[in-house]
Amino acid sequence: MRLDLERRAAQPPHLYVSVPLVAVGAALAFGALFLWANGFDPVLIYVEMARASFATRYGIEDSLISATPLIFTGLAAAMAFRFRLYNVGAEGQLIAGAICCAGVALAIGEALPGALGVAVILAAGLVGGAVWAAVPAVARARFGTSEIITTLLLNYVAVLLARYLIFGSKSMWRDPLATNFPQGRALPRMSGLPELGGTQIHLGLLIGIACALLMFALVRWTRPGFDARVFGDSPAAARYAGINVAGVVLCLLLLSGGIAGLAGASEVSGRAHRLDPAGLAVGFGYTGIIVAALARYHPLGVVPIAIFVGALSNAGTTLQSLPGGAVPSAIGTVLQGAILICVLASEIHVTYRLRWRPAALLSQ
Amino acid sequence: MSATDRSRVLEGGNPALEGHHLGKAFAGVIANADVDFTLQRGEIHALLGENGAGKSTLGAILTGLYQPDEGTILVAGRPVWLRSPRDGLAHRLGMVHQHFHLVEAFSVAENVVLGDPRQGPFFSRHLHGMVASLGERYKLTVDPRARVADLSLGERQRVEIVKMLYRNVDVLFLDEPTAVLTPPEVASLFGILRAIAAEGRSVVLITHKLGEVMAVADRVTVMRDARVVASVDTKDTDPTSLARLMVGRDVDLAPRHGATGPGRRVLVAEDLCLDGRHERHVEHVDLVVRAGEIVGVAGVAGNGQLQLAEMLAGIRQPSAGRILVNGVDITGAGPRAARAAGLGYVPEDRLGTGLAPGLSIADNLQLTAERPLVAGGRRAESEATAMIARFGVKARGPREIVRRLSGGNVQRVLLARELSAGAQVLVVASPTRGLDVSGIEFVRRLLDEHRRAGAAIVLISEDLDEIFGLADRIVVMYAGRLVLETSVASCDVTELGLAMAGAVDAGP
Repeated sequence: MRLDLERRAAQPPHLYVSVPLVAVGAALAFGALFLWANGFDPVLIYVEMARASFATRYGIEDSLISATPLIFTGLAAAMAFRFRLYNVGAEGQLIAGAICCAGVALAIGEALPGALGVAVILAAGLVGGAVWAAVPAVARARFGTSEIITTLLLNYVAVLLARYLIFGSKSMWRDPLATNFPQGRALPRMSGLPELGGTQIHLGLLIGIACALLMFALVRWTRPGFDARVFGDSPAAARYAGINVAGVVLCLLLLSGGIAGLAGASEVSGRAHRLDPAGLAVGFGYTGIIVAALARYHPLGVVPIAIFVGALSNAGTTLQSLPGGAVPSAIGTVLQGAILICVLASEIHVTYRLRWRPAALLSQ
Repeated sequence: MSATDRSRVLEGGNPALEGHHLGKAFAGVIANADVDFTLQRGEIHALLGENGAGKSTLGAILTGLYQPDEGTILVAGRPVWLRSPRDGLAHRLGMVHQHFHLVEAFSVAENVVLGDPRQGPFFSRHLHGMVASLGERYKLTVDPRARVADLSLGERQRVEIVKMLYRNVDVLFLDEPTAVLTPPEVASLFGILRAIAAEGRSVVLITHKLGEVMAVADRVTVMRDARVVASVDTKDTDPTSLARLMVGRDVDLAPRHGATGPGRRVLVAEDLCLDGRHERHVEHVDLVVRAGEIVGVAGVAGNGQLQLAEMLAGIRQPSAGRILVNGVDITGAGPRAARAAGLGYVPEDRLGTGLAPGLSIADNLQLTAERPLVAGGRRAESEATAMIARFGVKARGPREIVRRLSGGNVQRVLLARELSAGAQVLVVASPTRGLDVSGIEFVRRLLDEHRRAGAAIVLISEDLDEIFGLADRIVVMYAGRLVLETSVASCDVTELGLAMAGAVDAGP
């Protein structure tokens, strides 16, 4: 007997769902092996994780709160990667958006009425992210410089800039009253995103979902979206059709950066209520790439995947507080990695299938 | 001694290679069904068929690349089981594929011995001499020390052939070997094949070109829809009946030329130049095409035809000169302006330039249309459905991804878009390359219809058959210049060949 890969004659749409699901199962099995080797009961732990993420009110709340920045960064990655622009700088653009958002919020104080104030500071986040993406965007559109390198390197600049603003200078972002350990100045009350129905889930979640719908519509039904799809599929065809290729590159990268900036704004004004470098630089930008990849760069796919990944990272943290303890919180990260590898590796089964070649033919 | 006499003399004993009742399916699509194939020693045997008829699959099965689902293969009368091309080579069966398998950074000699199990860890000192003498024996001139990256496609093909001869194959398959060659290179290839056959080795020429079969083959096996429909000696047949066997109906590939006298000057290019840093220059090209006329631009690939076409279509900006379409100056105004002035462009690179391969047929038909800011999908789809029917595209529907279509249907989609926009000037590059006979017939008929309707057409092609089959006037492009202009009626093929090779000087 021998296993062969054989191209499928047709690709029924259910494969796009069933293949990744099987892959997630495989990843969980791999994680189980890992848990078992460490002396834990995998079933018990998986049940506990599911309960902690989705079965309690606080669990659901935490999952959705964690998912919110991932929806934005996932969208940011999806809107770039889908068109073969590899913006890996959502991390830095998120921080730039957060700095911008917090700065504007502190500057305007209580001057603007609630809704308008919120709109202005969110816009500030959007602009901050887009500005951070502007240098790579122009370099790529004008000179063809690899955006992978430039966006990645700017991440470090953004992280250090945020740290400098809080720890290294007496900037307006820093709380002058915090003498022991420096921290960000609290934002004015008016500029906080409203929380939903007595929970800690904030408006950012809904804005994220709205963004996803907007991006979907943009790509699917508008002329710029069409131009972007042509460019992403074949830059030569885009030039042939007279599409302004440099303009498309510029717009997509700025849009991607802007959405990542919104993630920062949503975190600052919805959750932290101050510029908190340590709380921002926890890898939302990079996890967003994973979310986007799992969602196959589809804007609407990003939302459920972000919630799933958010829940997974939450569950990791809850595990530490289990009675009997000593379950490493890293298990969440291990599972994330395993799921990503399995799902990406499984993609081949959408177009190919495994076939056993009977031994009889081989021995002929 | 004629080719057929030779094969008869050498015919004693078992055939070199036989396939009996071979069957192969790919995910339910039948590529070969109950195929019988017999190859005698010392014969040049053409395997003729349309694209998708199963001839390349048969070649791959008989050289070990694919394993048949059923049937048996006999080499010199003994059954063999070929698990891989290496097994094939062990039984002295080799194939030169359409896409070459060479390492560009290696020298010719290194490529020749690549993968040879007899080679030790170090190359033999005699390597270069060995490869050179092998080449000489068959008049295959190759410099064993040259780097493959520096070779032309024709030279690379020779390296592939030498590679097979070095492995001492008795049966040499060549898959569409003339697709990348110029006319003189084709003639020299045929000479090489005859020299190989004269040694008692067998050659299988996989092709869909009738002219090649008649020119070089002793025997021809015709395939259609995964089956063998006939196997005959070439002396007992003729191109018309072969075409009928291959397509399953009568085909009309007779040359078509413009009936009426040419009309007004629709496309005028004056003193067109391009001097990019990293590409072929175009120098002082003057070209006038009148309504109802097809002008063929002949030339070996890479002599500036692509650059000329892209300048005419507005994709590249000329460094000097100007282009008028219907009297409108479109120089440097971009592809949209060129289109608006009435120009359509069918590029040689259909999938990737002319079409976005990952998008649907409906999207691709809209590619060059002026679209509103918010596009409605429904109308585009119903228009696409109508076009699919009108141009006979075989597809599941307007949402089918273009990449999934066969080569002929890809070209139909592209032509549907470019020809239905009402263009009065058409620039078409190699419109029938890679198409099968039905596809070629369809494209030629379509271009002829447009000429009769008054379009001015620039036909850029390396394939002289294509140019002679359609054009009214021929210009030859060499090293970025137009070096010869002649009408088809008064054309001297020798002069044309010389001009393509750069032997005619058009002056400063």
